[in-house]
Amino acid sequence: MSNTPGSPTLHSNAAMAVELTGITKRFGAFVANDGIDLAVRRGEIRAIIGENGAGKTTLMNILFGLLQPDEGSIRLNGEEIVIADPSVAIKAGLGMVHQHFKLVPSLSVADNVFLGMEIRRHGLIDHAAQVERTRELSKRFGLQVDPTERVGLLSVGIEQRIEILKVLVRGARTIILDEPTAVLTPQESRELFQTLRSFVAEGMTVIFISHHLEEVMEVSDTVTVLRNGRKVATRPTAELSKDELVHMMVGREVSFDRRARASLHGDVVLEVKDLWARDDRLLPALRDASFTVRSGEVVGIAGVAGNGQTELAEVLSGLRPASHGGAWLKGRNLTALSPAAIRQAGLAHVPGDRMVRGVDRNASIAANTLMGRQHRAPWSRGGMLNWNAINQNAETLIKSFDIRARAAGDAVKRLSGGNIQKVVLAREFTNGADFLLIDQPTRGVDIGAQEAIHDEIMRQRAAGRAILLISVQLDELAALADRILVMFNGRIMGEVAGDDADEERIGMMMAGVAAPEFAAEIAS
Amino acid sequence: MEILDKLINVALIAATLRTTAPILLVALGGSFTTKAGIFNIGLEGQMLVGAFFAVLGSIWTGSALAGVACGVAAALVFALIFAVLVVSFKANEVVVGLALNILAGGMTISLMKAIFGTRGSIVGHGIVGLPKVQLPGARDLLGSWAPLISGFTPLVYVAFIAVPLLVVCYNRTRLGLYIRVVGEKPEAAEALGISITRVRYIASLLCGLLAGLAGAHLSLGYITMFTENMSSGRGFMAVAILIFSNGDPLKVLAGCLLFGFADAFSLRLQTFGYPSYLVLTVPYVVALIALFALSYRARPRVIAETLESMRKLLSVDKNTEPGRKNPQ
Amino acid sequence: MKDHLRAVSGQVIAIGVALLMGAIIILMVGESPLRVFMTLLRGAFGDQEKIAGTLLQTTPILICGVAACIGLRGGMFNVGIEGQLFLGGFAAAWVGFAMPLPAGIHTLAALALAVVAGAAWVAIPAYFRARYNTNEVVSTILSNYVAVLLTSYFTIFLFKRPGGWSETPPILATSYLPEIFTFSRLNWGLVIGLVLAVGAALVFRYTKWGYGVTMVGSAPKFAEYGGVNVKRQGFLVLLLSGAVGGLAGGVETLGVHHRFMEGFAPGFGFDGLIAALLANGSPVATIFTALFFGALRNGSLLLEVDTSASREIITVIQALIILSVSAQVLVRKRGDSQAGERRWKF
Repeated sequence: MSNTPGSPTLHSNAAMAVELTGITKRFGAFVANDGIDLAVRRGEIRAIIGENGAGKTTLMNILFGLLQPDEGSIRLNGEEIVIADPSVAIKAGLGMVHQHFKLVPSLSVADNVFLGMEIRRHGLIDHAAQVERTRELSKRFGLQVDPTERVGLLSVGIEQRIEILKVLVRGARTIILDEPTAVLTPQESRELFQTLRSFVAEGMTVIFISHHLEEVMEVSDTVTVLRNGRKVATRPTAELSKDELVHMMVGREVSFDRRARASLHGDVVLEVKDLWARDDRLLPALRDASFTVRSGEVVGIAGVAGNGQTELAEVLSGLRPASHGGAWLKGRNLTALSPAAIRQAGLAHVPGDRMVRGVDRNASIAANTLMGRQHRAPWSRGGMLNWNAINQNAETLIKSFDIRARAAGDAVKRLSGGNIQKVVLAREFTNGADFLLIDQPTRGVDIGAQEAIHDEIMRQRAAGRAILLISVQLDELAALADRILVMFNGRIMGEVAGDDADEERIGMMMAGVAAPEFAAEIAS
Repeated sequence: MEILDKLINVALIAATLRTTAPILLVALGGSFTTKAGIFNIGLEGQMLVGAFFAVLGSIWTGSALAGVACGVAAALVFALIFAVLVVSFKANEVVVGLALNILAGGMTISLMKAIFGTRGSIVGHGIVGLPKVQLPGARDLLGSWAPLISGFTPLVYVAFIAVPLLVVCYNRTRLGLYIRVVGEKPEAAEALGISITRVRYIASLLCGLLAGLAGAHLSLGYITMFTENMSSGRGFMAVAILIFSNGDPLKVLAGCLLFGFADAFSLRLQTFGYPSYLVLTVPYVVALIALFALSYRARPRVIAETLESMRKLLSVDKNTEPGRKNPQ
Repeated sequence: MKDHLRAVSGQVIAIGVALLMGAIIILMVGESPLRVFMTLLRGAFGDQEKIAGTLLQTTPILICGVAACIGLRGGMFNVGIEGQLFLGGFAAAWVGFAMPLPAGIHTLAALALAVVAGAAWVAIPAYFRARYNTNEVVSTILSNYVAVLLTSYFTIFLFKRPGGWSETPPILATSYLPEIFTFSRLNWGLVIGLVLAVGAALVFRYTKWGYGVTMVGSAPKFAEYGGVNVKRQGFLVLLLSGAVGGLAGGVETLGVHHRFMEGFAPGFGFDGLIAALLANGSPVATIFTALFFGALRNGSLLLEVDTSASREIITVIQALIILSVSAQVLVRKRGDSQAGERRWKF
């Protein structure tokens, strides 16, 4: 820790780079930020930490003018300001490095840095001058890049440096970074921290969003913890232990309403061994996953979104090729089968991206409940569909899954998000598969419906199905899972028994600290 | 061998440059929309109205230059309609492009009938064609090779000069840069306050400008006449070229030279008594083969992890991530 | 039902706007719009022969429209129907004049070869579209030009009627499609078209194949997730679309011209595509849009006789209709017009 932490003062003065007072932001009925106060002293590194959906990104988007607050005010350097759009924020000396980079692959590093504020001579862009200035800046802050290289050929870590350079070249004095380390290797992260320290050494201010505990402890001067859209606390980092931080972050005295269960563990239904896969950009996204799921067992996959869970689900359902290893469903290797063959082998799949993968929004509920079973009687005979049976079944499902719709002929796009999810669940849970792959079953679903969905999952378990439950909501996993595997950066970091699910341990693994027995294996 | 000598000679190369010019102009126009992220199947129609109104303007004013201006203006109107529907109304670009092509076909024939009372073609009526430009000194310098650089109509020169200009535009000017950004990464443009709508409008209009010139070259260049549907698929070939060149001016030039050569070669074959109908298919067949071959080359690849790569990827926590290669 | 009504009324308004713009263009070419429209109407429906003529023109547009609908349903833009029509027409003619067969069987054989020719002609673009995602719009458009030139070559260099001018020998009477009335060349082709349209609608609605294809066109990722082989279905859909396009050519040869000749059915493929687009990809609705375009076409024949306007003015009106339909996004709700939701919808 290069800077001595000081306790932040709460009354406004010019020593404060950023002061947010009483910021409230609602999206419909959902309150993303609820009366949040935040004061950041000039020259400090402030970490904002919290779980997914705690309101971190919303708060920063408000500060940067990408969103307008419903209530509350903003002061920069002691002066009240209305940040109508990002250009106002940039003029006021703010800069934001987004989680998703906005770089143009075919342009050079320098071109990207100067995009929108090109240096021109005789009306033509002066590449040499841009390269020169980029080089200067990158030297000054230790951001190693080759300004002439094309961005499309560079690694994610370097892309981030370019985003930071973009912010610097626009004269930012306060830099906001949204989950900057999520895409970095540990070494790249350390280099980033060096850079952040050099910023404060020059009197600049850094705000960074994270859920990676160790990094927060390592680099920040002060920590603000958000939970469910509210501020929990702001404390100097030096006064905090990791345990305290996890506790504030997860913070639930809430008992995980754990479902009672009898032990049913039967035969192994799914066996995953040394499974690897790459994402759409051909980067390794799933690394060396091995686990089994038995019948009558719910195995949970925990992890921050984007740590390989999607790829795992896609490989298991045949939508993405594995790059190594295999997964056996009742002895058949899924990685060699088409999606249709996997379904026949006994897979039911509740996809995480339900609007794109899970339904055809333009089609009726009945047509949506048909998908995946159109080859079987009584739904079809001799290639002809039996719409009577299909419609009747859809009506039955509407009743038994409590789907709020008028009729089976209603278009799915007329339903609410929760009801669309019920259509998907109704279809997948009733097609008699032995293995259920359930990805984010309750995302965007209201509380009442969540209960019903959890009940249904437990019923499926009782019926002897093998269930792999992927969720970013820890309480959901703790309530339902017999075992919980935690993923980070494409790798399984450890396993926790559902009966003694310990948020702290899971939280650590989600933040990249491997369980000892797994750490040993990874190291070897 | 003798046949080959007769087929391939200076005259053929000069003819190639001539036949390349219109498709090059229209493809360079399409390069703007391609780079801006618009699939513009309407090039054919823009070229056709350009050709028609160039003839009309030339007859009305008695000046080839005014004719060219008329052709360009008409193509610009079509480009504007395209932009309004596709960019502002977010209509389907294929549907709009096809409809505008059909509109261009029907409109030119209707107007031809209304104005000249004829069907099929407009010949004579005092159409003033573009003059041939004899470069002074070309003959002294190159002797029998002079036809390679001299004696073309002005728009041929314009077409070939436009290639380096476009290269400069995309690499050295703000507008060119923004067109690329809007096409490649619209969210980056948005984040930097670049108006996607405005850039796409400008790209569409630049496209109309060049497509109009291409049309004018068709009807006022080497032959001074207009016939129905005289663009005869050159606009579509340009789209094919744009698909596999991704709108890069130099690759567009290479593709267009290929088609220009196919065109000139097929004309040449005809004079040697090969059946004209078969010979005329050559450019289209070349376009199709190129389209298929290059999309086969760009097929997505599947990666299998080797022991080596697995070790590397597992030790990533300790080392830096290996440099990412562009997935394209 | 309300959605349906709104969609239909939107289409009607668009046609109205297009007719208005068409009127302006007619004024520009120096004719009276009222006179042109009245002549069109008279030319299309003036007497029973005119009505039969309209139906005769409707036939190929309808069959081509069904071909386009099949493609659109699976998310494919078959712009090559024109070329498939030419090859189908030639193939049918060849069976008709070169292969003496008993009546009835002869017709069926000719139609069968037309179907095969159409499907074969689209097979390569379809394969590359399905397998390597090669843009099918461009590849099918370009193959149109090749098809037209190729059939002309066959006609003029290989199978020219002795003494004739760029046409094949007439087909044998055994291969004719029977005519329905004595006063018109209107033939059973129209029935084939109607059966195809209704049949296609039924296949899409009542077979599991049709269900899979509809899902591929409407929500490809969902179809893939549900186990539909998206690539194979895409290929099949284009192939089938091409087959029907070929059939349209066969019907035109066997029912109307009784020979193949250069430029034998200009623009029917494109008219069919436009009719299908205007019908939003519904084969049954295509019956009505095809009838509309057939009436325009037949009416336009009188246009050249009675007015100074050229018959291509109807092409202008058709294009304007499509443009104004595509601009309808303005009056539709935003949620309904999300990009990529349905690639071919306006």
